[in-house]
Amino acid sequence: MALIEVEHLKKYFNVAAGINHAVDDVTFNIEKGHTMGVVGESGCGKSTLGRTIIHLNQATAGTVRLNGEDITNASGRKLREIREKMSIVFQDPYSSLNPRFTVAETIMEPLKESHRYSKAEIEEKTQALMDLVGIEKRLQNAYPHEMDGGRRQRVGIARAIALDPQFIMCDEPVSALDVSIQAQVLNLLMDLQEEKGLTYMFVTHDLSVVRHIADDISVMYLGQLVETGPTKEIFSHPTHPYTKALLSAIPSIDVLHPMQRIQLKGEITSAIDPKPGCRFAPRCPYATEACSQPQTLRDLGSNHHISCCRAGEI
Amino acid sequence: MKDEKKTSRSPELEGEEKREHGKNRDHGHDREKNREHGRDKSREHGWGRGFGRRHPGEVTGKYQLKDPKNFLEVQNLVVEYSSDKKIVQAVNGISFSLKKGETLGLVGETGAGKTTIAKAIMRILPDPPAKVKDGAVFVGGRDLMQMPEHKMLKIRGAEIAMIFQDPMTALNPLMSVGDQIMEVVQIHNHYTREEALEHTCKMLEMVGIPRSRSVEYPHQFSGGMKQRVVIAMALACNPELLLADEPTTALDVTIQAQVLDMIRDLRDRLNTSMVLITHDLGVVAETCDKVVIVYAGQAMESGARNDIFLNPQHPYTKGLFGSLPKMDDDSKRLSPIKGLPPDPTDLPRGCPFAPRCPKACEACSQDASIPEVEVEPGHFVKCLFAGKEDA
Repeated sequence: MALIEVEHLKKYFNVAAGINHAVDDVTFNIEKGHTMGVVGESGCGKSTLGRTIIHLNQATAGTVRLNGEDITNASGRKLREIREKMSIVFQDPYSSLNPRFTVAETIMEPLKESHRYSKAEIEEKTQALMDLVGIEKRLQNAYPHEMDGGRRQRVGIARAIALDPQFIMCDEPVSALDVSIQAQVLNLLMDLQEEKGLTYMFVTHDLSVVRHIADDISVMYLGQLVETGPTKEIFSHPTHPYTKALLSAIPSIDVLHPMQRIQLKGEITSAIDPKPGCRFAPRCPYATEACSQPQTLRDLGSNHHISCCRAGEI
Repeated sequence: MKDEKKTSRSPELEGEEKREHGKNRDHGHDREKNREHGRDKSREHGWGRGFGRRHPGEVTGKYQLKDPKNFLEVQNLVVEYSSDKKIVQAVNGISFSLKKGETLGLVGETGAGKTTIAKAIMRILPDPPAKVKDGAVFVGGRDLMQMPEHKMLKIRGAEIAMIFQDPMTALNPLMSVGDQIMEVVQIHNHYTREEALEHTCKMLEMVGIPRSRSVEYPHQFSGGMKQRVVIAMALACNPELLLADEPTTALDVTIQAQVLDMIRDLRDRLNTSMVLITHDLGVVAETCDKVVIVYAGQAMESGARNDIFLNPQHPYTKGLFGSLPKMDDDSKRLSPIKGLPPDPTDLPRGCPFAPRCPKACEACSQDASIPEVEVEPGHFVKCLFAGKEDA
């Protein structure tokens, strides 16, 4: 059963130059216990999508359902309730921690806010959480600036799981970390998922990380979903020209079999007052007249969807 | 020029005196001792921010070029930063070499000293706090560490150029990109304004920017385009050695692919030697001929690209590969390196990787320095276990 259902979700921002279609008509489901990887280049709206789903942004249009319940316009007490069920791990573990809170205070904060636990319970739970994410007890009174990036991110994760949420939106949780530390944090996230049956939405630009951690992948380009499907399927049969180019652009450590690279012309433009039709068309090597018509997500079978009118031909 | 020398010298002397009365008593003693011999040691390297006012060093050639075929040869480079009362040992006796037209990848994590190495080669480290304590950098047979600053000025930008990591901060926001490139061109060539402008436009076209955009300012360019401008600037005088410090880290993958392809293409066309600094093993695999794995300012392993990627020997190198999520591997668990990189103000004795190493034994933390072992021709490993039966 799908834990999160997103339907025709839109988030527009008014900016000086017009209306920024940061998230434009995105539809997908995240199954319970699964990890949905959302990939795309900077500025494609992947973080905005995640923040809109967990209600940090108010959606412009469309619906978000959690356990089948429409939460798009939740407010007041209802919003507090769903906030306990959905949480977030931010990209930058430094700026997302309060510099004047110690580790223990940071992790305690959501527990206190829930008004459900006694002081002793909070203490106990905080210790358990620190154990769970692998922060030594001696660091409980340390401040964020005294710790390294990997530990800070562990604190961010402990805070996110404090109230036993069902869904965690991970917004580039490892991109600020070195490879050796990145691997430690990825392992931690996967262990927690197994232990607590968490559902993740994993926003990242790093495709090899997504390949590793995600069950399903959604590829975004300028606010729109261009392709979505099971990870294996996407990596073995990428169908959208953008997905193909994106996958071929990853530098590979395989020195014996270098990958054939699809070179994209130009750069990602902006989603401010976009023209109808495929937004990737100006950079697409296969673009034709038909691409200027609005595109819809088509089903290719086995849960693989793509929005490209030439999908069958190329 | 002479007047400038005089005026710029006096504040420096004042500063020196102040320092002698200040905290750095030891340094002061050193200086006095040296003065007895008629020379200030701090000037021997011809180092610092001063332009051409320092005297050439006369360090008697402690280091000698090992192989005349090497275009770049770094020998036993040691760089320290002093902050407050602590000394940060950023680079600890690293050596590597590069032949003409080759590309060498310096790979390591944050704080491994990669950028410091590049800046030391360029001699643009701020002194203080940075100090080159030892070592030699031979470029085309000359030791840059003994080069007087006025000669260094001619070399920097013309023979050796650097691409900086962050194109947003590497460009002057108040100058049009054309003017910024032209500045380098005019300093190093006897061009008229028209010739220089023409050359600048050619450089821009070479990196795929139309010449009409030369009058635009950095904020009018996207990240990828800015990096192209920085690359055009670095290549403007056709340098023989290019130091690229994480040139694509700030860019998206598709743009990274474009920029890397361009760098490779230009390097091959102009036969430039290149040192590529990165933490991304994928970028190294696609770009470099030789690889040096840097950890705590030391070369843990070095060799030809295929030696390192197909037959990694050092536990740290193996750990790096184990930490990478593989594209073609379905195993769901990564094998990261335990622990954290060492504190550069307090490096462990012996092998700096020993506290994190799965194979470490007592001997690893005892030897003052671990010897380099040549496990196969050209493939060096700094590990006590290197070459011994594999674990």
